[in-house]
Amino acid sequence: MNRESVLDAKFSRVWDNLPGWGALAAVNHTSISLRFMLTGVVFFLLGGILAMLIRTQLALPEHDLLSPDLYAQVFTMHGTVMMFLFAIPVLEGAAMYLIPKMIGTRDLVFPRLSALGYYCYLFGGLIITSSLLLGIAPDAGWFMYTPLSSAEFSPGPGSDFWLLGITFVEISAVSAGIELTVSILRTRAPGMTLGKMPIFAWYILAMALMIVFGFPPLIFASILLELERAAGMPFFDSAAGGDPVLWQHLFWLFGHPEVYIIFLPAAGIVSTILPVFAGRPLVGYRWIVLAVITMGFISFGLWVHHMFTVGIPQLAQAFFSVASMLVAIPTGIQVFAWIATLWTGRVSFQLPMLWMFGFLFIFVCGGLTGVMLALVPFNWQVHDTHFVVAHFHYVLIGGMLFPLIGGLYYWLPHFSGRMPSKKIGSWAFWLVFLGFNITFLLMHITGLLGMPRRVFTYQSDLGWDWLNLLSSFGGFIMAMGVGMLILDVIMHFKFGAKASHNPWMADTLEWATGTPPTTYNFISIPRIENRHPLWQDQGLPRSMAQGVHGLSSIEHGRRELYGTDAITGKLKEVMHIPSHSWWPLLVALALAIVCISLLVRAYPVAMGAAVVAAVFLFRWSWENGAHKSMAPLTPEEQARDEPPLHSRTCDGPGLWGMAVTLLADGALYLSLLFGWLYLWTVAPNWAVPESSAIPLGKMALSGALLTVAVVLYRRLVKRLCGGNDQHLVIQLWLVTGLGLLHLLVLLWITLTSELQYTKLAHDAVLLVMLAFLIFHSGLSVIVTGLQALRAGYGYVSARLPYEPVVMNPMWLFSLTIFWISYASFLLLPLVWKAA
Amino acid sequence: MKIVSTHPWHITAGLVIWAVWFVAIYGGLSVACVVSPPPPDSGVFNWINAALMISTLVTSAYLAWCALLCWRRMQDSVKQARFTLRLAAAVYLVGCLATLAVGVPTMVIVPCL
Repeated sequence: MNRESVLDAKFSRVWDNLPGWGALAAVNHTSISLRFMLTGVVFFLLGGILAMLIRTQLALPEHDLLSPDLYAQVFTMHGTVMMFLFAIPVLEGAAMYLIPKMIGTRDLVFPRLSALGYYCYLFGGLIITSSLLLGIAPDAGWFMYTPLSSAEFSPGPGSDFWLLGITFVEISAVSAGIELTVSILRTRAPGMTLGKMPIFAWYILAMALMIVFGFPPLIFASILLELERAAGMPFFDSAAGGDPVLWQHLFWLFGHPEVYIIFLPAAGIVSTILPVFAGRPLVGYRWIVLAVITMGFISFGLWVHHMFTVGIPQLAQAFFSVASMLVAIPTGIQVFAWIATLWTGRVSFQLPMLWMFGFLFIFVCGGLTGVMLALVPFNWQVHDTHFVVAHFHYVLIGGMLFPLIGGLYYWLPHFSGRMPSKKIGSWAFWLVFLGFNITFLLMHITGLLGMPRRVFTYQSDLGWDWLNLLSSFGGFIMAMGVGMLILDVIMHFKFGAKASHNPWMADTLEWATGTPPTTYNFISIPRIENRHPLWQDQGLPRSMAQGVHGLSSIEHGRRELYGTDAITGKLKEVMHIPSHSWWPLLVALALAIVCISLLVRAYPVAMGAAVVAAVFLFRWSWENGAHKSMAPLTPEEQARDEPPLHSRTCDGPGLWGMAVTLLADGALYLSLLFGWLYLWTVAPNWAVPESSAIPLGKMALSGALLTVAVVLYRRLVKRLCGGNDQHLVIQLWLVTGLGLLHLLVLLWITLTSELQYTKLAHDAVLLVMLAFLIFHSGLSVIVTGLQALRAGYGYVSARLPYEPVVMNPMWLFSLTIFWISYASFLLLPLVWKAA
Repeated sequence: MKIVSTHPWHITAGLVIWAVWFVAIYGGLSVACVVSPPPPDSGVFNWINAALMISTLVTSAYLAWCALLCWRRMQDSVKQARFTLRLAAAVYLVGCLATLAVGVPTMVIVPCL
């Protein structure tokens, strides 16, 4: 055996998944990301079948293939499946597959979180789609506007399926957002500064951070609506001081950035592929980075452009109208950079390029109708017509599906080691391209002629007949194209020509792995000095496989990555990550039981399952740091020529993971605060009780206890990082005790206060605020107690300061939200009243 | 923290400031219209439009100044820091222009209608 084979055998022993059923315990990013993508494709086919049902129903006037009820379920589920179960997970899967390989590392930084994310997505998706098979699917539209989705107008379990299932799926999205952010910032190959990062990583970084900020408002809104439906808390009921428009705000605070969350990774694929086929570096790398950052922010400032007809003041509408037009500028920068790249290169017209041209044409058309819709008077005219449906399909299918398929053809040799068929692939492209344009171009006209969306049929004397018939005809042509595409992909695994290594002559590091790649990606990690490492050094894949570069030792049996500085790419530490684990599957199963129990209103079972899930999660957290299954202290680690293991430092990836998690948590809290201020200032029947049911003095006492606990904890962490672990166990127990006292006072206040939470939106919001504080304080207390136990076992000490450092921001967050809540929910109304 | 440094915060600060300003003027407009709406026939010369215009000018001036500082600092920085500083300068400038653009309607549209 040669040196490469020997190293491969050693690395595979550590990195390969368990055989047979053990594959369910896999946490490796390549396995998990492929599962994400394959599951997403299955959901895509389901969504496509639903689309065909819609187009069949609308093909003829007064058609009765679907009843009105069933039609409502079908269009709701089509949107839901495509947006939540296909688009986001598939793109996340692609990002999870590519990012570690592109940035020159072996895995994502929190592999168990990836696996949990996948199972949450799978189970959540199955829960939602099962409702369709049972004939009780949600039917209020994929946006679930209240009061249509509230208990009064949607009395069955359909809305509950949506709310619980989607929230479950969104755990997956947020976990992927956290995972990708930290991985991109902290695990790049040494030397890969921000300016040398592959452009795709910039796009994914922006997407991941947008998920972190954008998804919590919808998670929060879903929780509120489910509380309203199940417990009668009237957040969206205007008779009790709520406001249905609050739902729209929270939904679109998520919903509009969602479009860009879908577009950005797809644009990242375009920016990666075009230079390869143009045979030259991307024109305007810095401009594109600027455009991506700008888009990431400005896309949040557009949410009200979905609500131009709900009665918002004209000046406010103008702010959102301008912001909606502004977002076209960074989009334009990217389009011009792509055109310039093609213009100045020597373009090789391979199969992926067909899809790139399809993308450019369709997406630009969709962008133009987007600018039209940003104009308030035009928007009023075509609101809720098929024009809007046509516009967003141009943006979403043009902006996401075409680049995705282009990317699929581009990276297919990477998955399979074989080349796709140019002939069948071209047929698939032309069928999809023509079918798509026939379907949706005509739908613009139908919309301008006044055909409303979401109606199950229409009369034959309105002039819409031939347009709808042709649209449906186009839909079936497109479906044939998709069928041909799937056939091509399946057949290529058997009949495709063997691909050479790096068949497209690409510049990025993912082509330095094997094709198909090994579970560990790279045997050794090189120093990266250039934005195009494979163009700079074509021998790099070979030298990496021969173990010439860093981190090539595997005798210790740990899965290891390099940890580098977020900006400069300077080597800082070696991260040890977990091997296969059953905990993600067990946690997801327990959470699935929680969801199903809530659906059937079996609340004691739901509570029991939630406790089991929490126990599993805490047990999962036990296998960390110096635990015997991870990285116990050994003399070997000090003897070798590598930086320290991350659990021996005060700046490991967990701290970054916690910080990003708290950004998402903060977005959730800001949504709560926004809801409170919104209802207070806008809800037409907002009513405030004569006296607050929450005693200010006792709340202040609870806050004081929390403040002391946090001060002590932060002091403890500072001393630990300074190398002093004297009385560590006692100090940790002291903080736990103080935190527990604070928590008990808070619980007592909550249980004894006479909140009229089913009668007044005001009191319902206060109860949610208290629950939010209790959850965070409770979590901090339990985890600190666990740290005290771990310190007793020797897993936490001056040599192992990592875990208390990770928990430090959590305590600070709990303290911050406590006092902000005290000021905003309790003091501000008093001050306002007094004024 | 210095107003301008090579800290990565500056890569996004310009647009974070824009976002905060944007939410503040949207929320502020709603609250102002509840608390003390000017008469509809007062045109654009009223306290709400004036406050919104002033906030637009102050915010965009601050962002432009930050962009200028970043650019100046970039000239005498080491190569590794230049990418960050150039990007930060551009993002501050984008924030400035976005603020001005969104603020334009305050000069022509009456509030609270």
